[in-house]
Amino acid sequence: MPSFHPGKTFMMDSSVPLTSPSRRAGALSELRQRVTGRWLFALLLVLGCAVLSLLVLAPLYTLLSKSVENKAGDFVGLDNFAHYLSSGGIESAFFNSLWVAGLSTLVVVGLAFMAAWALTRTRLPMTGWIRGVLVLPILAPSLLPAISLVYLFGNQGVLKSWLFGAEIYGPIGIIMGSCFWTFPHALMILLTAMDNADGRHYEAATALKASPWRTFWTVTVPGARYGLVSAAFVVFTLVITDFGVPKVIGGQFDVLATDIYKQVIGQQKFEMGAVVSVLLLLPAMLAFLADRYVQRKQSASFTARSVPYRPRRDHRRDVIGAVMLAPTILFILAIIGMAVYASFVTFWPYNLELSLNNYQFGRMDGGGWGAYTNSLQMALGTMVIGTLLVFFNAWLMERTPQPRLLTGVFQFLSLLPLAVPGLVLGLSYIFFFNHPDNPINGIYGTLFILILCTVSHFYAVSHLTAVTALKQLDQEFEAVGESLKASRWRVLFTVTLPLCLPAILDVALYLFVNAMTTVSAVVFLYGHDSQLASVAVLNMDEAGDIAPAAAMAILITTTCAAAKLIQGGLRFWVDRSTRAWRQGTE
Amino acid sequence: MIQHTQGSRLEVRGVNKFFGEFCALKDINLTIEPGELVCFLGPSGCGKTTLLRIIAGLEQQSCGTLRQGDVDISQKPPRDRDFGIVFQSYALFPNMTVTDNVAYGLRSIGMPKARVRDRVDELLAVVGLEDHARKYPAQLSGGQQQRVALARALAPSPGLLLLDEPLSALDAKVRHHLRSEIRSLQKQLGVTTIMVTHDQEEALAMADRVVVMNNGVIEQVGTPLDIYQQPASAFVASFIGAMNFFDSAPVNGQRVRLGNRELDLVRPLPATPDGIRLAIRPEDVHLLPQGDGEWEGQVQAMDYLGAFIRTHVRLHGVELDLVVDVDPRSARQLELRVGGAVCLNLPSDALHCFAA
Repeated sequence: MPSFHPGKTFMMDSSVPLTSPSRRAGALSELRQRVTGRWLFALLLVLGCAVLSLLVLAPLYTLLSKSVENKAGDFVGLDNFAHYLSSGGIESAFFNSLWVAGLSTLVVVGLAFMAAWALTRTRLPMTGWIRGVLVLPILAPSLLPAISLVYLFGNQGVLKSWLFGAEIYGPIGIIMGSCFWTFPHALMILLTAMDNADGRHYEAATALKASPWRTFWTVTVPGARYGLVSAAFVVFTLVITDFGVPKVIGGQFDVLATDIYKQVIGQQKFEMGAVVSVLLLLPAMLAFLADRYVQRKQSASFTARSVPYRPRRDHRRDVIGAVMLAPTILFILAIIGMAVYASFVTFWPYNLELSLNNYQFGRMDGGGWGAYTNSLQMALGTMVIGTLLVFFNAWLMERTPQPRLLTGVFQFLSLLPLAVPGLVLGLSYIFFFNHPDNPINGIYGTLFILILCTVSHFYAVSHLTAVTALKQLDQEFEAVGESLKASRWRVLFTVTLPLCLPAILDVALYLFVNAMTTVSAVVFLYGHDSQLASVAVLNMDEAGDIAPAAAMAILITTTCAAAKLIQGGLRFWVDRSTRAWRQGTE
Repeated sequence: MIQHTQGSRLEVRGVNKFFGEFCALKDINLTIEPGELVCFLGPSGCGKTTLLRIIAGLEQQSCGTLRQGDVDISQKPPRDRDFGIVFQSYALFPNMTVTDNVAYGLRSIGMPKARVRDRVDELLAVVGLEDHARKYPAQLSGGQQQRVALARALAPSPGLLLLDEPLSALDAKVRHHLRSEIRSLQKQLGVTTIMVTHDQEEALAMADRVVVMNNGVIEQVGTPLDIYQQPASAFVASFIGAMNFFDSAPVNGQRVRLGNRELDLVRPLPATPDGIRLAIRPEDVHLLPQGDGEWEGQVQAMDYLGAFIRTHVRLHGVELDLVVDVDPRSARQLELRVGGAVCLNLPSDALHCFAA
């Protein structure tokens, strides 16, 4: 039995000196011990910062400095910009990009909001399937809708008459194609924002005798407003920086993205490419900063006390929901269906017999099946390297002791790629990695640089997913581990990683799919031995082999769908084998 | 019966903690004897959790030293210190069974498998969870999870047990039950224990000694009885239990003025240039039949709180409002009713006096 000494042992005593000199030496060596433990993690995160700087910041800097240099490399100030302005590029490309992106944003956010409303506020059947169809475009390269639109509304298109004489080659085509491939991005943001509605708010509105219409405007819309803003910024950035759709269907209609391509690939004017890149970087950067600013104001409205909203049975509302969803679903299915059909048609529009001729890529230019296997290798490499890098860095940032300044710098570097259009990143890579003085310029033109570039390009979203997953874990796991004499590494492997497995699978799929479908960054970087499937689509289309281009786009989409199925299977397996500890007995 | 090593003695000397300009802890000094259960009690933001985290090494003090037994642990990382900790959230590893959670710390020190098994069985028996050994935390109730966290913290036989608001996530009934269970387990093991809480009832019921904290300083250290009966400051007096306060002025020595009367005090007045504040607990006021007491007043309101009636009385002459707790039987005898007249005494041995 312990004995207690009430009253005398619990001294309050301020006369004891803080540290006596003799103790100081011992304390110093202990301090050193403690510091090396912390410094190891800080050092690793510094390394992470260095890697991201090398992959994003340094290339961007080279690009910016290129934009104020002439061909010979002398500093010329803003001469290049002045030259671009006087050539009329600003009026056409810059403003074209702005209004096309703006209009696409309006259309996509409107459609996505209607779809999200129908999926979360009505009791339509088969919402799982509907969601599946609505996010299908994410598995396709952005070139696919453009090609499909050519078949649908082009000069020999089946529905050409529907345009009443208007040309699909131009802004109409760009907007339609952009809407197709950016729709899932907006939808997913809005679904996240609207899935977690608090049922109590709706009950309160009903109790206060608000009409459904008034409830919609006072509860539903305010609840989704951050999602709406975020979706708008994301779609705007995606459209204005996209290169695939305007390249295929833009015709003579200039936008910034195609202008960069023309300046660099067509005319070999690298410094002018840099100038247009800076102009493209500006709106993307602004949208990014504005979105960050708005998101910072967002506070969690769905708390532990909220009750999830369950829509009541209401046939009229279900019908309205179906009417809102139908055009979008039909449009998506028509685009994909047209591409699939076109890829099998022997010779459009003269021989409509179905065959596999268009899939014999060996007979066309563009890299053939080799491009496809390159793409697979590149996507797998991106997936493995990217997932490891993203998770390790996010873990360092979230779950190890770090100086606040360092995490701030790292967070900035991780999110920066979100503001950098793929074309701009690709062009920066040329300037940075192809520079004769760069000691690692040997990787230029190899699959490895494509992997590095793609990892950097899609770093930010992966990083956010990883950080969100890591933040959700109990903040005290590491502290408990320390008290139980377990190193952070042991906690990482025995607790953190098993708990983050679903998020890791999500990040892996995201990186794989994007690596398969991306065109914009890699179009400047592939070499003779590292042609990619998505670039092959572009090149075959440019060469007039539009049916094989459709076939290759379908092949990419199918590959991504297969990856999605495999990932879905893995997630199902993980969920099943961890159900016991995830949900308890119920 | 379960064996445990002797709890260790803990000395905190001159600990300060700054977050930027903000001073979270100011010159903290205290000694905790082996086997004691000490509660850090205070409102949120008073620095109690910061102090606990500094003792654990999860937070680094700006200056000051910590000694556990004969060892200076001031600069040691948490892993080199000797403590077990239970957090408010429990932080159980959700992907591991109860057994694996409890065994986690034993495995990190490389204990042989057979001994790990024995030790885990022993601990699960102590906390009464033998039947749940193979379950996952999510399959247990809050109270059961709490016990797993306790067993996990105690498994490596630490000299010091730190509890960070361990009961606040539980509902009232479970909380009361676990309170006495933790206390008896702690006595049985003799492990020195520090518990952080904002619940005064919990602190008074469990602790050998209570450390009342406010704004980063220790206001008072003492047994629960000391803290309640002899609060060292107006803050302690008002934070622990209910208290009536009156502004007053010293007359001389031990006499003070309240309204138009002078009162004698048992304790000497605090030395203060300004006015003083008199204080008395609601249950220490004597209500008397009409015409008997020194003070007269009128009942303003009565709140029935079950075991007692909280009566609000306005004193005539001084126009002071006073809260008095009366048991229902006395209330009946006194014929207390809202609007009725009442007499009362303020016993001088129950009067506290603080600097204003």
